[in-house]
Amino acid sequence: DSTTGSASDCQPCPCPGGSSCAVVPRTKEVVCTNCPLGTTGKRCELCDDGYFGDPLGADGAPRPCRICECSNNIDPNAVGNCDRLTGECLKCIYNTGGFYCDRCQDGFYGNPLAQNPDIKCRACSCNQYGTVKGQSGCNQVTGQCECLPHVTERDCSACEPGFYNLLSGGGCERCDCHPLGSTN
Amino acid sequence: VRPDVAPLPPGTHLLFVQSGKIEHVPLEGNSMKKSDAKTLLHIPDKVIIGVSYDCVDKTVYWTDITGPSISRASINGGEPTAIIKTELGSPEGIAVDHLGRNIFWTDSVLNTIEVAKLDGSNRRILFDTDLENPRGIVADALKGNLYWTDWNRVAPKIETSYMDGTNRRILVKDDLGLPNGLTIDAYSSMLCWVDAGTKRMECMNPSQPARRKIVEGIQYPFGITSYGKNIFYTDWKRDSIVAIDRTISKENDNFQPPKRSRLYGITTAYSQCPQGQNYCAVN
Repeated sequence: DSTTGSASDCQPCPCPGGSSCAVVPRTKEVVCTNCPLGTTGKRCELCDDGYFGDPLGADGAPRPCRICECSNNIDPNAVGNCDRLTGECLKCIYNTGGFYCDRCQDGFYGNPLAQNPDIKCRACSCNQYGTVKGQSGCNQVTGQCECLPHVTERDCSACEPGFYNLLSGGGCERCDCHPLGSTN
Repeated sequence: VRPDVAPLPPGTHLLFVQSGKIEHVPLEGNSMKKSDAKTLLHIPDKVIIGVSYDCVDKTVYWTDITGPSISRASINGGEPTAIIKTELGSPEGIAVDHLGRNIFWTDSVLNTIEVAKLDGSNRRILFDTDLENPRGIVADALKGNLYWTDWNRVAPKIETSYMDGTNRRILVKDDLGLPNGLTIDAYSSMLCWVDAGTKRMECMNPSQPARRKIVEGIQYPFGITSYGKNIFYTDWKRDSIVAIDRTISKENDNFQPPKRSRLYGITTAYSQCPQGQNYCAVN
């Protein structure tokens, strides 16, 4: 209050880097009006949307606000891409998931860090007849589905040589061909 | 934390969202009284995205993606109240139908368009199919139509339906990029939108296929609203509100708040509700 006429009328703003502040008329509360880039809050204690950190160290050591780190697997046109405090990625795309969008979602496999979005994370698409019942997922990296006995291929879509009847749903059965009458 | 609520002075204002705040700039004639810009609401622990205004009860409505929630407060200094708190993903665009006394909103995680009464009751999902990144939404109260954008990068579109959810149709799908916001230009009754992909502002009469480019080469538009002969949009690159005079298709003003960060939703808080005569006078 600069109108009282004493030496202590004007006090420095309690804001980072000497940035400006204002007094809310009704509540007399001091609010920072020009928080540094990426920060917000009454005392610049929070990170803006699209940034994460803990600039004043409200919960442990101070961590300056940084842009969301989500493995290039977020869309810059989206809002709320990461948690403002922890940085947990909230809007992973290209079928990625995990804290940093650095894993494939369940039911997908591949390399979530690949440059080309088309080959990042592809659907497991496990063959319904050749795969162990109730298993729709696959190995995160190789995409190998969990095959029934004597079933082969990444997606469990074929019988091993010398076996047949994938459609039985219980694994492939031995051909039992007579060695003398068969070509292989 | 008790948020600050500063009453809105008389007159018509732009309301816009920046960094957990809803700010207002008075409108005088066709220009922004930038020196009188002030904070209406400061809720720093929330990330506010969309804003809309009910001219009947003089109440501001907003979406918050951190709650997530949909809340409202009287502009005469009322306490903010959450009216929807459950079953929300990422509520973004919000539109008040001041005649039907309803709110409509988009949710880009649930991929829905929903409706409820102004107090949050009678909530209903209008659409939950063929939506990927629904964002901007506007209600044409006098005609009973709803319009929204979907910035799905594979197939962006602008859609419409009646307010009861019937007669859903795609209005625009060609030559779109990231249609982030749309509004009804009260001056011309045209549907106008901003696109951060094509970098354009365009308008059309919703009942005719012809489109009209208003401006090209804009930077990164997000929200849009209109007042008088101006269309105002928020820009993520310029951290500003940009005013476009639609009669001459030229930028004629801009406002950059002292705090540099992205601006989100924007709406016009009319001192009086636009009555039927607005549309009847034009037609």
